[in-house]
Amino acid sequence: MAENEKKISKKTLNKSFNLWFWGALTCFSQEHMQTFGYLSSMLPIIKELYPDKKEQQEKIHAYTAFFNTNPMLGSVIIGTTASMEEARANGKGIDGETINDMRAGLMGPIAGIGDSLIDGTLIPILLGLALGMSQNGSPVGAIFYIIVWDLIAYFGQRFLYFRGYKLGDKAVSILVGKQGKAIRHAISIIGGMVVGGVLASWVNVTTSLQLKDSTGKVFLNLQKQLDSIYPGLLTVIVTLLCWWLMAKKHVSAIWTMIILIGVALVGVLVGFFNPGLKY
Amino acid sequence: MTISWFQACLLGLFACLCSNSCMAGQAVGNYTIGRPLVGGLICGLILGNVPLGIACGAATQLVYIALVTPGGTVAADVRAISYIGIPLAMVAISSRGLNPFSGDAANLAKSLGTLVGTVGSVLFYAVAFMNLIWQAFGWKDIENNKLNRLYGVNFGWPWVSHLCFSFIPTVIMTHFGAQAVTALRNALPMDGIPMKTLFTVGAMLPCVGIAILLRQIVNTNVDFIPFLVGFTLAASLHLNLVSITVISLLFAMIFYEIEMFSAKNSGNGGAATATASNDDDEEEEDI
Repeated sequence: MAENEKKISKKTLNKSFNLWFWGALTCFSQEHMQTFGYLSSMLPIIKELYPDKKEQQEKIHAYTAFFNTNPMLGSVIIGTTASMEEARANGKGIDGETINDMRAGLMGPIAGIGDSLIDGTLIPILLGLALGMSQNGSPVGAIFYIIVWDLIAYFGQRFLYFRGYKLGDKAVSILVGKQGKAIRHAISIIGGMVVGGVLASWVNVTTSLQLKDSTGKVFLNLQKQLDSIYPGLLTVIVTLLCWWLMAKKHVSAIWTMIILIGVALVGVLVGFFNPGLKY
Repeated sequence: MTISWFQACLLGLFACLCSNSCMAGQAVGNYTIGRPLVGGLICGLILGNVPLGIACGAATQLVYIALVTPGGTVAADVRAISYIGIPLAMVAISSRGLNPFSGDAANLAKSLGTLVGTVGSVLFYAVAFMNLIWQAFGWKDIENNKLNRLYGVNFGWPWVSHLCFSFIPTVIMTHFGAQAVTALRNALPMDGIPMKTLFTVGAMLPCVGIAILLRQIVNTNVDFIPFLVGFTLAASLHLNLVSITVISLLFAMIFYEIEMFSAKNSGNGGAATATASNDDDEEEEDI
């Protein structure tokens, strides 16, 4: 029987991976999100495993359900379903429902880990480093980001896809297991420190408030006082205010920005802020 | 500085590639071409002033350093920020004669980029809405067993959505917007209240971006400590980011070892060690 076992060729797996890499979100809608990206990346696999046209149509139905996850880490799920589809074609007691349960169960956790690890940590670190190289309009930083990020994204996703195919649903335990948790914690420390560095290096909220005595001599320069307490104090305060509004008061980002406009306007009117502009 | 029709069309093409649904794929489209820093480079090349483009891109990037779109809701749209906002900021900065590398130019770019990006999120929803038509085609194709057409649904038809809601808006807004921005220069003097407020807000906007990021990282109050250490290293000790990253690696290593050690112990030990490690966990949370 072993000779008759169906096996997905390397070429088809590559094609499926590339369809996901380039097309996970090309036909995005609020209603179906990544469903069509998923369908088109599974299509080559379905076609290879089931030569019969009618059967293809029947099998593709397992992938018509809603799907949305972090597209980077999500490639592990595509790889896993590829191996499950292979098992289904070989009659190993897997049906469409099993595949769908697996997909539905994984997309939430993978989205959560992916958003905090990729969007929340890795990309800010890379961008932070790239910004450091962009002073005086140098293109080096942007080029650095383009090369490093795209290499990580392509080969990282490829690795995850083939890991998923090879190990099946065991592959996911790399991401959610104890070692995965320790790695995530360690990376979040790097992320936290780099983000603090980014804030201090490029954001500078200052006050222009000065108090003068009757002879016009400045006796209080607030910015100088604040700097002697903790350099960048106002910047930290404004950031923590935004964090507090969004995390504790559940104000949206747009409303937070509008509140800042209000703060700035009042500050300008009372002379607390003055960018000191002239032509 | 003006933006010709040809330049506007090039900007429009990049706008199609970068935003959800991004025609260049998620990693290359949204995460590379769509990032304001990369957008600054591309706009700089198209408009013929790379240093100014990078300066605007880097400034705007700070606001959007953590652009996460959980569940597909967006506060800002990358195509509008990078390919409408940045070109207009470049025009505004050169028409006001500001030094591109000054803080004022950066603050102007941030305010303009953020305004355009926020308004531009309507483009995101418009494209997603129009894609529903192509998806309806897709369901029909599955029903009629014309599976090969699914590739067209995923990779071909969405271009039409982008033509309507990425390409055309970008071309029109950059071409005519450049003239409007130049006209505004005379309407709003630099020392008036509106411009002062605009520049002050520009200086504060990155705080929102950083705060969004903090919301991801910070679960308990102790999680602020790495952030504040990083801030202090840069603000008080004037270290650059690469140096801060190297220092943070040491802390990351220590935390990794500690966590793996406690995971191993709780895995091998009996009930006693398991409860002990539970206590540890609770202590951590209490701090």
